[in-house]
Amino acid sequence: MNIIVCIKQVPDSTQVKVDPKTGTLIRAGVPSILNPYDHYALEKALAIKAKTGAKVTVVSMGPAQAVAVLRLALALGADEGVLLSSRAFAGSDTWATSYALAMTIKKIGQFDMILCGQMAIDGDTAQTGPGIAYHLGIPQITFCESVDSDGTRAVVKKLIEGGHQIMEADLPVLITTTMPVDYAPKYPSFMAAHKAQDKKISTWTEVDIQADPHKLGLEGSPTRVSRIFPPAARQKGEMFSGSAEEMAAKFVEILKKESFIK
Amino acid sequence: MIQIASNCVGCGKCVSTCPFGALSLVNRKAVANASCTMCGACVSVCPVKALSLPASGAAKKDLSAYKGVWAFIEIADNGQKQFVRPVGLELLSKGRELADQLGEELCAVVIGDNIQPYFAELSSYGADKIYAVEGQGYHDYNTAAYANAMVTLIKKYNPSVVLYPSTYIGRDLSPRISSELFVGLTADCTGLSIQDGLLIQTRPAFGGNIMADIKCPDYRPQMSTVRPNVFKKVVSRPGAMAQVVNEPIAIPAQAGKVRIISKQMDPITCGEKLDEAEVVLAGGRGMKDKAGFEMLETLACELGGAVGASRAAIDLGLKPKEKQIGQSGVTVAPKLYVACGISGAVQHIVGMEHSDTIIAVNKDANAPIFNVCKYGFVGDARQILPKVIDGVKKAKN
Amino acid sequence: MAKNDLTTRNLMLDSLKQYAKNRISHEFIREHDAKNEIPLEILKEMYDRDTLGVHLLLIPEEYNGLGGQTTEIYRVCEQLARIDLGIATGVFATFLGSDPINVGGTPEQKAKWFKKIADENKLVAYGATEADAGSDLVSLRTRAERVEKDGKIVGYKITGSKMWISNGGVADIYTVLALAPGGPSWFIVEKGTPGFTQDAHEDKHGIRLSNTAGLAFDEVYVPAENLIGLEEGKGFLQAQAVFGYTRLMVAAFGLGAGEEAVETALVYAQQRIQAGGPLAQKQGFMLKLITPHYVRFEAARAYIDWTAKQLEVNNHGLATEGAIAKLYATESGNKAAEDAIQAMGGFGYTKEFPVEKIKRDVKITCIYEGTSEVLEMTIFRGRWQEHLKSRGQYYIKQAEEFEAIHAKNPNVGADSVALGFRALARVLEDCRAQKLTRHQYITFMLGDLISEAEVAAVFSHQCAEGKITEGSRFDLNTLCTMARVNARLSAFKIATDGMKLILGVGAASAQDLSAAVNLVGIEEKMTGLITDEDAVSAKLREIFKA
Repeated sequence: MNIIVCIKQVPDSTQVKVDPKTGTLIRAGVPSILNPYDHYALEKALAIKAKTGAKVTVVSMGPAQAVAVLRLALALGADEGVLLSSRAFAGSDTWATSYALAMTIKKIGQFDMILCGQMAIDGDTAQTGPGIAYHLGIPQITFCESVDSDGTRAVVKKLIEGGHQIMEADLPVLITTTMPVDYAPKYPSFMAAHKAQDKKISTWTEVDIQADPHKLGLEGSPTRVSRIFPPAARQKGEMFSGSAEEMAAKFVEILKKESFIK
Repeated sequence: MIQIASNCVGCGKCVSTCPFGALSLVNRKAVANASCTMCGACVSVCPVKALSLPASGAAKKDLSAYKGVWAFIEIADNGQKQFVRPVGLELLSKGRELADQLGEELCAVVIGDNIQPYFAELSSYGADKIYAVEGQGYHDYNTAAYANAMVTLIKKYNPSVVLYPSTYIGRDLSPRISSELFVGLTADCTGLSIQDGLLIQTRPAFGGNIMADIKCPDYRPQMSTVRPNVFKKVVSRPGAMAQVVNEPIAIPAQAGKVRIISKQMDPITCGEKLDEAEVVLAGGRGMKDKAGFEMLETLACELGGAVGASRAAIDLGLKPKEKQIGQSGVTVAPKLYVACGISGAVQHIVGMEHSDTIIAVNKDANAPIFNVCKYGFVGDARQILPKVIDGVKKAKN
Repeated sequence: MAKNDLTTRNLMLDSLKQYAKNRISHEFIREHDAKNEIPLEILKEMYDRDTLGVHLLLIPEEYNGLGGQTTEIYRVCEQLARIDLGIATGVFATFLGSDPINVGGTPEQKAKWFKKIADENKLVAYGATEADAGSDLVSLRTRAERVEKDGKIVGYKITGSKMWISNGGVADIYTVLALAPGGPSWFIVEKGTPGFTQDAHEDKHGIRLSNTAGLAFDEVYVPAENLIGLEEGKGFLQAQAVFGYTRLMVAAFGLGAGEEAVETALVYAQQRIQAGGPLAQKQGFMLKLITPHYVRFEAARAYIDWTAKQLEVNNHGLATEGAIAKLYATESGNKAAEDAIQAMGGFGYTKEFPVEKIKRDVKITCIYEGTSEVLEMTIFRGRWQEHLKSRGQYYIKQAEEFEAIHAKNPNVGADSVALGFRALARVLEDCRAQKLTRHQYITFMLGDLISEAEVAAVFSHQCAEGKITEGSRFDLNTLCTMARVNARLSAFKIATDGMKLILGVGAASAQDLSAAVNLVGIEEKMTGLITDEDAVSAKLREIFKA
């Protein structure tokens, strides 16, 4: 069985800050991490590997530094990595990104299951997974909390509004994963990190994946950012301070006044 | 990289606008470095139009042939009954405004089984036309079946705008369609408007602390997803009846590759579902621990509300991820929203700002949450809440 | 297998950070600090090869370790210190305890003991210090008597005692320095050997999460194969061979602990509103209590990294450089922690925030592995020889080098470095001419000035080469600004302190001396100093947001 996991390097969102004056992002000194949804997807793939002996290949599109997340994945137990990196991909929106990743997966050739995090924490779109599935012409199941496979089919627990479904799919299939509460990503031991250096990471460009240049980067991206602006300033509400007792009394009074106490 | 023409006057406006720090002034001219992602944020601030993105490669097709604003209406089944998910009505309400501005018709697209009962309601929210794809095979959502139906309809009728709910179904379906049609799709828009005939899609970007306007000038239809509770429901045509166009579309064989084995709805505990509750109590980092959240649960039971949390509290493991309120979680617009120990980062604010009455409790008098609330209490929520609970209990007796 | 590259090193550090985030909370540390208790389960987990296996860095690959380079070991030390210096000390003691085997062990000894340490997650302790033999090992009292059988040495009986041994009460394996008939020698002693006992855990000012205990040896018999190197009398050489290296690790401790304290204070100051705005926006607050420390941290980081890279080529030695790194980084870390408390005011003084604990912890870095005063002596001795050998040209040559650097790159403070070197050369020469180094105090102070000059030089040089030291969170532009600030202050200190020393005990005209060290030239470079410091403050506010 061959599993491909698509992963992305993202700025650690808990450390991305905004300059209060200019309203722009401060990325200086912000560390990069593996997108936690992808981290979880990878762990799911590795669990299936442990059971079925599947080969796990990780794919990432990004700058040269993104090799760090591939190395992390290899240290955790993935078998091989592919870094898709070229200036030709700059300006890609989710359409161009999913096309490029799908072409990469086609070049890898063999796949029974593709796992993606449901979204990247720096974009929150959740579009790339379904996009890849379309370009590969395979079915998808999105927002899955658990993923399992015996090598012949996939069984997942998928979130739906107000509940969940247990679903099964024939292979090949693309699955996107959500992540559980209290998810603490696994990190490798020092020895595993050390040994991962010997695993293969290929670096490919648009030429390697035989992509249509008109479908890459900015050219392959239908969406355009036309303006960015700080959110509108707002008016402060009626403010109260004082002892906890005083404020609680005022609080209850407001609840009564606005008739929220029934 | 962004293209910088020689007429750059070195004013530096683009430098401070760039979200990635990719621009700088060298010898009083703007210069872009490798951090440029070609997001285009700088293009509109340049006073002399010296900045531009490389030309789009889209085949220049005749965009005037694309007319009509569509809203995908999600039919839900909670195990007890089938109903129109309210976000569909919100999309129609907003869609009505857009269609009027464009001078085009508003169409509801409904896919499902036994859907006629909803047509009157959809009409009252402004639909001029209803495209109905009906069949037993459409009772449960299936990506391949629904995507095939939508793509068939879009190719047949060429709408200029298609809106989807940002639900599990909408988010599964819409990117599949945009990929096939090679069109843009903007996720989780918090604002939609028309400018020069183009759909301007506004959403928080780059981590959720700045707003971005996004457009798709060269591709049709322009597609967006919108969270529940972002737009208000407005009955604009009470008693009207839309023209219904039945479209029999066969379910493709590929649909059978994915099967539902079982379906289970979560038991609804005290209060209601977060996105449908009339009262929402939300806690942030300032609630400190599970004991802090228990106070919120208690008050929620007293007021008949639901409890949510900010991203910071979710990160601390105080609430499950699905209770997160904000850009990367659930959007709510209840009658009463109480924010406790939440500072109010933009990414949280966009998820609750449309609530009718907002009460905020926070230790920091300068917390941004106070800028969106109607009533603000400067103090420790953990001290105040127990006393509020007592007060509410007394008031009820 | 290849040596670890930067990506691997960063991955190891991420693993370590993540582990600490999940397992070692401030509350956990606070509790153990109050109880004076070593979290043995944490150390065991950190040694578990499937969880982290930090100790494997020290062990060569052929013995199931991962043969870490000096760079990753110092970076791990820095990160450990940011987590808790007590825990860091527990890990470091194993590093240190294994070192005599690394330096002097026979291949068979390495195979036996390293495999044991690697595979069985053993804690090791380094037993050198005695009541009368601290940094000065010459007064060693612990004896090792030969046990002979049929005219052959079959073993040794060790008698004596050791004090302040890190991991002393909890280690499984001890490397013990004792005086054999042939001279000082290292022996491997296992826990449980008859006659070998450990004293109670010390009640210390800081690093209370590390176990410190005395060791007592009452005719403890060890087989001859436990004599490291199988040859008596090599003990001192083996001990000194690793000083450059072990002191670099403690330098990283000082750096890491200091950074953690000041970062805590800075993040706090971004939120703390005083007189209408956050403290961190106030110039006086930043320039007095925060910014100067980051300048010194980055200077220290550049120097430590530079020394580490040298050690990777030269393997051992570099005793002077190791001493400079440790003196500079630990004294900087210590002062930084002190100011971090001040910066946080009353909050800093309470145990709710980690800075008061860091202040107690970091002090040890100025003491163990050579007190600051011993290091000042070491540095002085090392460079005094160079000064004499070169007939006073040692620092003049370097000054010329930096004048050339300045001509090419005027933004890195190389001009001030050169002025500092020239002033230093002049001060050393006056000390020689007037025989002032007979005053012990002067040798200490010269050691200090030498370290100031050399650290400033390396920092400036790295910036001139466009090099951002790995682990730094700053961009090159900010680092250049810091290098300029640092070089100016260091040159000023050399000139003024140097004058103070010479005028204080020797005979000289203040005016002539001031001209000789070019004090006015050095002072002229102060133009723009505060502007540069303000620029650094602005960058700090940007990077360390609340």
